Amino acid sequence: MPVLGYNIVAMLWLAVLLTIISLGITLFIKINKIEKLQKAVDSLKKSLDEMDEQAKLIVRTDMELNKTQEELDKKITGLYALQRLSRTIATTLQEDLIFKMIEPGHLEDLGFEKACGFLWNDKEKKFLPYLNIGYLENEIKIIKSAVDADMGIYLDIIKNERTFSSISYSQEESYKQRLNNIFGVIYFVIAPLLPKEGNKGFLFVGTENTDKSLTEGDEELITILANQIGQALENARLFEKTWRAQQDLEKKIEERTRALTQALEDVKIISKRKTDFISAVSHELRTPLTSIKGYAAILLEERLGALPPAVRERLEKINTHSDELVHMVNDLLDIARIEAGKTIMKKEEQNLKNIIANVADLIMIQCKNKNINLIIDLPDSIPPVFADRSQIERVFINLLGNAVKFTPQNGEIAIRVKANDTELEIGISDTGIGIPQEALHNLFQEFYRVDNPINQQVKGTGLGLSLVKHIVEAHQGKIWVESALNKGSTFKFTLPLK
Amino acid sequence: MNIGIGISTEKDTLQAAKEAVLQAKKNIKTAKISLAVVFTSIEFAHINTIKIINSLLHPVALIGCTSAAIISNKGIFKHGIVIMLIGLSEGEGVYFNAASVKNIDSSNALVSGQKLGEKLLFGFRDIRRDLGIILSDGLLEDGTGLISGLQERLGRSFPLVGASASDNLKFHKTFLYINEEVVSNAICGMLWGGKLNFGLGIKHGWKPLGKPRRVTKASGNTVYEIDGAPAAKLYEEYLASGLDKLKKELKRVSIFYPIGIYIPGEEEFLLRNIRLIKDDGSIVCQGNIPEDAQIRLMIGTKESCLLAVKEAVDEAKKGLFGRKGDFVFVFDSISRYILLGRQAHQELEIIKKEFGADTPIIGFYTYGEQAPLRAISYQGKAYSHNQTITILAIGG
Repeated sequence: MPVLGYNIVAMLWLAVLLTIISLGITLFIKINKIEKLQKAVDSLKKSLDEMDEQAKLIVRTDMELNKTQEELDKKITGLYALQRLSRTIATTLQEDLIFKMIEPGHLEDLGFEKACGFLWNDKEKKFLPYLNIGYLENEIKIIKSAVDADMGIYLDIIKNERTFSSISYSQEESYKQRLNNIFGVIYFVIAPLLPKEGNKGFLFVGTENTDKSLTEGDEELITILANQIGQALENARLFEKTWRAQQDLEKKIEERTRALTQALEDVKIISKRKTDFISAVSHELRTPLTSIKGYAAILLEERLGALPPAVRERLEKINTHSDELVHMVNDLLDIARIEAGKTIMKKEEQNLKNIIANVADLIMIQCKNKNINLIIDLPDSIPPVFADRSQIERVFINLLGNAVKFTPQNGEIAIRVKANDTELEIGISDTGIGIPQEALHNLFQEFYRVDNPINQQVKGTGLGLSLVKHIVEAHQGKIWVESALNKGSTFKFTLPLK
Repeated sequence: MNIGIGISTEKDTLQAAKEAVLQAKKNIKTAKISLAVVFTSIEFAHINTIKIINSLLHPVALIGCTSAAIISNKGIFKHGIVIMLIGLSEGEGVYFNAASVKNIDSSNALVSGQKLGEKLLFGFRDIRRDLGIILSDGLLEDGTGLISGLQERLGRSFPLVGASASDNLKFHKTFLYINEEVVSNAICGMLWGGKLNFGLGIKHGWKPLGKPRRVTKASGNTVYEIDGAPAAKLYEEYLASGLDKLKKELKRVSIFYPIGIYIPGEEEFLLRNIRLIKDDGSIVCQGNIPEDAQIRLMIGTKESCLLAVKEAVDEAKKGLFGRKGDFVFVFDSISRYILLGRQAHQELEIIKKEFGADTPIIGFYTYGEQAPLRAISYQGKAYSHNQTITILAIGG
């Protein structure tokens, strides 16, 4: 069996060889795979490193973004606080309440936790505290004495109208340090309070928070706040002043009104007494006058015997003067009655054209005597007025009589009427001697007579115009005069339509 | 569960406390007040505030804290007081216990946590525990120790939700309100049990960016090295700025680009704010980072932030199984308040829209949050979170 054994050995060898070959191939493939994997791992590691680098970039960017956002958040919060504060402060018109409106919450939102406000007192020549947030009572006392000791620094802030803070470059470090110590803070802003009215001062805000980064924005915000407070102080003071002035004025008006009312009452009493007096006296005068006139008439009729011419002449004078006196007393009585409201105007619908025609007839003879041209200028239709005919006729007769009296020979007298929606305006003008300016004012007063040559010659009572005025006014009308010396006068009066 | 909320933004302490209490009393439909929860801005952190509230209410218990801003249905207020009154009726089978521990420092955090746990369990032995809510001084050093100690005693079979008090962003001093006291260096908590229904959602919305990194040297909340280089190098590289500039802008950097810890199975990364950058390049975080943890640099935007609110609300609603909550607690990270700025109110709008305008909402901005992670099988262990919004809907 050697051949069989040989064959078996050979086959074994072959199998071993084949195994070795296949193992070799497998090994080769594995090594190849490992190499590939190693490469993949390397590339993954590289990617991971790259990603880590990217992560670093992300973190850095994120950090920057967060910082910016934080700053922005702070600013917005501060602005909101400022807006809220401004709104509350603006509603106050009481000086002592303005500082009380500032609350720790507002200050916190602005990024500070301590604040105090001082106003200069001109009388005491020192600063007085008005605001205190974050300080104890005794702390503010210490601050106040420190402020008094360095008063010049704070007065300079007011004088220069400049805010300054821990980040202001213009001040020395030691100076800032000193303020930090006085007010117990690390960062601060001091802004002047500058109301245009009254005492000025300054607002201090500060923080002990080391995380706080003070910016120019903070300076601006506090300046705005200080301006708002200043404005509010000014408003409050102006309001106080105006209010006081108004109170004074009201008091004065009240006093004056009381005095005037009293004076008016006095005048009324006096006026009534005068009216009563005139009325009484006139009545008393009329009785003896009637007797005088009666006796004079009897004597003139020569019932008691013939009269020598000299006596007759005297008696006629007595008669004429008595008539004048009766006339005068009647006028006086009329005025007194109208003033006392005793004369009732019998108002009826009147056509002014008729009245004017009537009085023109009466006055015509006198005009002709002096060769005076009487012009009557009336519109085509005159609306009717409610008036007492006889009284209005008296007004015309008086005014026309005066016109004739003061108009020289060959002069001119005109009656003109204008109508509007509410009243008639009647004007009576002449080309007479006119009335001096200074006399116009007194013209309608009782017993007033203008000092001129005609009045010196012609007798008159000085009651006519006064009576006219009373009648016109009793008709709710007005009367006035326009005149120029030596050129003539125009008397105008109105009568309301209905 | 009867709920009444009152809020006041009056400046005067007396007026504000009175107004808030009277409103809350008017809104609650029962005379029996089991618990009062009070959140205020820092200027109200005064014994008088609490005295007035107590004198007007006589509640069984009062807890609360200060914050940079308070949250309520009526809005977010930088200055104000919000009070929520809870009245439990006997028949509904819901129980709670409130307790506190004071004088906490870094040396006794664990023990203090244990002590609080024991106090909370007192009188709670036979009742099923459902939920723990913890408020703590926002400037306590070792928050992790406190929570560990607390959970050692309470167990981890139920979720523990925590929020730490804040002040007016000065990181100067925060206060807790505990019954008739105003205290710092303290922690207080409520343990709820019985038949309590609630839903919890906690999200932040930050996304990873750049290469995954590994913490190569760390201890507690300090990270010394990342990928073998000083930890701060990470930030120097990404922001292309030197150590000094970085230190100056730390607050902003920390809020916008926190470190995210990868947790297998969890959708979101666990975030860590940077509290301090040391000269040797090590960084101190708000909360622990374990050595060998896989971390990423995180980036957030206002949009992703607001989207996270919706997700948190959805998750909380899921926990309620279709029932309407009696009220909603909102514990919102102060970082989100700063990041969102003037848009901060939009978070509240989303919550109001999802839960309905009439659901009472009360909350505050925190210097840190604690809550369990969803991915961890035993739901109970609480982790320190940063930059998150916690939505806790209760009742129904």
